[in-house]
Amino acid sequence: MSSDYENSDNEYYDDEDDMMLEDEDGSASEMDVDAFDIDYRTSGKDKLKLYEVEYDPLSQRDVEKMMQQDVENISGIFGVDSNIAALLLRHLDWNKEKLIEKYMDNPTAVNTAAGISRPERSAEPPRSSSRSQPSQSLLNLGPRRSSRRPTAEPPKSGKTKIIERISPPVEEPQAFVCPICFDETQTETYSLHCEHRFCTSCWNTYITSKIRTEAEHWVTCMAEDCSLVAPDSFIRKALQEDNSTWNRFQELLVRHFVACNPSLKYCPYPSCTYTVSCPSASSRSSLTTIVPIVTCGASSSHKFCFGCHVDDDHRPVVCGVAKMWLQKCQDDSETANWIKSNTKECSKCQSTIEKNGGCNHMTCKKCKYEFCWVCMGPWSEHGTAWYSCNRYDEKASVDARDAQSKSRASLERYLHYYNRWANHEQSAKLSMELYAKTEKKMDEMQMTSELTWIEVQFMKKAVDEVFKCRMTLKWTYAMAYYLDSGNQKELFEDNQRDLERAVEELSELIESPLEPESIPSLRQKVTDKTVYVQKRNEIVLEDTAKGLLEGRWKWNCSIEGFD
Amino acid sequence: MDARLRRVNKEIADCKNDKTSNIVVDLIDSSPYHLRGSFSGPEDTPYQGGHFEVDIVIPESYPFQPVKMKFITKVYHPNVSSASGAICLDILKDAWSPVLTLKSTLISLQSLLCSPEPNDPQDAEVAKHYMTSKSSFEETARYWTMIYAGGPGKGGVPKATKGGTMDEVAMAGLEKAHVDQFEAIGFERSKVIDVLRRLNYRGANVAKINDDRVVEELLK
Repeated sequence: MSSDYENSDNEYYDDEDDMMLEDEDGSASEMDVDAFDIDYRTSGKDKLKLYEVEYDPLSQRDVEKMMQQDVENISGIFGVDSNIAALLLRHLDWNKEKLIEKYMDNPTAVNTAAGISRPERSAEPPRSSSRSQPSQSLLNLGPRRSSRRPTAEPPKSGKTKIIERISPPVEEPQAFVCPICFDETQTETYSLHCEHRFCTSCWNTYITSKIRTEAEHWVTCMAEDCSLVAPDSFIRKALQEDNSTWNRFQELLVRHFVACNPSLKYCPYPSCTYTVSCPSASSRSSLTTIVPIVTCGASSSHKFCFGCHVDDDHRPVVCGVAKMWLQKCQDDSETANWIKSNTKECSKCQSTIEKNGGCNHMTCKKCKYEFCWVCMGPWSEHGTAWYSCNRYDEKASVDARDAQSKSRASLERYLHYYNRWANHEQSAKLSMELYAKTEKKMDEMQMTSELTWIEVQFMKKAVDEVFKCRMTLKWTYAMAYYLDSGNQKELFEDNQRDLERAVEELSELIESPLEPESIPSLRQKVTDKTVYVQKRNEIVLEDTAKGLLEGRWKWNCSIEGFD
Repeated sequence: MDARLRRVNKEIADCKNDKTSNIVVDLIDSSPYHLRGSFSGPEDTPYQGGHFEVDIVIPESYPFQPVKMKFITKVYHPNVSSASGAICLDILKDAWSPVLTLKSTLISLQSLLCSPEPNDPQDAEVAKHYMTSKSSFEETARYWTMIYAGGPGKGGVPKATKGGTMDEVAMAGLEKAHVDQFEAIGFERSKVIDVLRRLNYRGANVAKINDDRVVEELLK
């Protein structure tokens, strides 16, 4: 069977296409196997295509590791506890250089701004030793009972020195009443080292509400005007057994870290926690030469553009062009253009009038004003001989007609591209239906012919390919609209035409009625065509990507990011 | 007893026991989560002598989320919506802290009346008035205090009667053009002012209230 296909494959290229295809990878014999290879990237990861970008999908765990590295780095340089290093980094949006510079300049100010220590006050008890070494002005984490029984805190290793401050004798022997819930039965309390004590259950509710309701990772002390920030160890402790809130907190931290790093992007799919790292697309200028379409590690359907939010996959056009095109399509200005080229206003009541036939003697439906459509002057002055409309100034009439035809031409040009763009979009939208229909056909084939389930997968594969190519085609029209006319555009449009023709042919084959005796030949045709379409699509994508890298494309208007 | 209820009950009791601050918190119905606070206008301000009522709603997650407050009494102040009574104050939003109480928040409202922040306005029209002519603003604020908050009219009124009709309009916080428009139809000027003031015919509200409605009110 395999040789059969090989044969047909060659035949195909010989009769129908004189294109030389160097790459024989996608030959028909491998198709059946390919149908099960969902992630194409894994198979071809070693050699990236020109229209693909290099990127790494990262799990939340991976990003946490990156954060951990930064924290350890800072912790090592400053000689501070990792909790403090994390707060410092978060305060300065994970900008290590800036942090180091500022910290070396004035550690006290940075510590205060980052919510690690309180602004210095004269009234504060002298703590000279802890001032000089911020690592020791640590937060008081131990749960404390108001019975003044010092809790045995397991000594932590390394730099973490928890200073368990024995309550000063000033403390009244009376029971502690939490100033938030006024519950006298609460005996366990926590406080940051500002010594604003609150009961454990209030802390718990407060932190949960901050994380859950406000999606906030920056949790300040509950006291009024106290800017101390709760470090991770404190939050972990206060949340007690609530692991889901703790996980949410971790996610918020990761999101913040990702948002601060231009070469990272969070997967935009709902409730997905993956991140993609794509350093080559991190700068705005890079977006003029590449179209960074990436897929997060959670699912192959989580495909998105690293550079913009316009569409999941707008290859081959760059983000700037895609954005402009969509804006143009959404803009009312095109409606206005239509009105401008197809209508005139009644010179008396300003109603918009579309003339769709009849003579030039117009009577406004609204105000009954009678006028001439050609010169817009009152009809009464025309008498019966309006054809020699002498009120029509020669120069003005030429100008007016020029302006009108220009506006018409530009409108028609736009509509040409828009209709094709919308057509592919519409077809792609209907792909769900096509999938369902194809599914049925595949069942039918299995029943009426000898083919097995695996062998009829070629149909699904063909539909997949059609869908993919329609996406490409759709965006090629946006690209062509903005391309300056010339040889490059013509070449581009040749490629576009070849792909479009092939896709239409394949579509037709897929939709053609099934006849039991013709199934084998249909299978062959579809399989061949699918490979061909795939190749044509690659050609369009490759060539456009290459053109972008070379700066070969000339645009007919200025586009964001391009000079 | 849950923490929120215990806390609110204690706060209500605290306000009752405290006779010095002049802050009162009352139940509106049987629910302890929907209250009415009131305080007197601060001295040496246009609000002096007025009695201001505030609608208080205690949210589910109180005290970890801020209490919701808005003025029931109409107040002419840059940080209070003259239409809805909504208040623009940081502690009612992101600067809220769980240790703040109903009493301390009401005291903050009271001090907001002393020190308007026209650069961060809730009511842009009022803020504009404040910025362009503080004395005229104060006159209107005093007038509003008198008619809505039961303030003593003594301070501002004599001046107003002397000042003539212009001041009357400005003090009601209305536009002269609007008053003239309805006066031109043939209604008495004082009645027009009265009705427009009652309808709160100001700023963005003008677009919402059509002329028929005003005329209807005038004919009543």
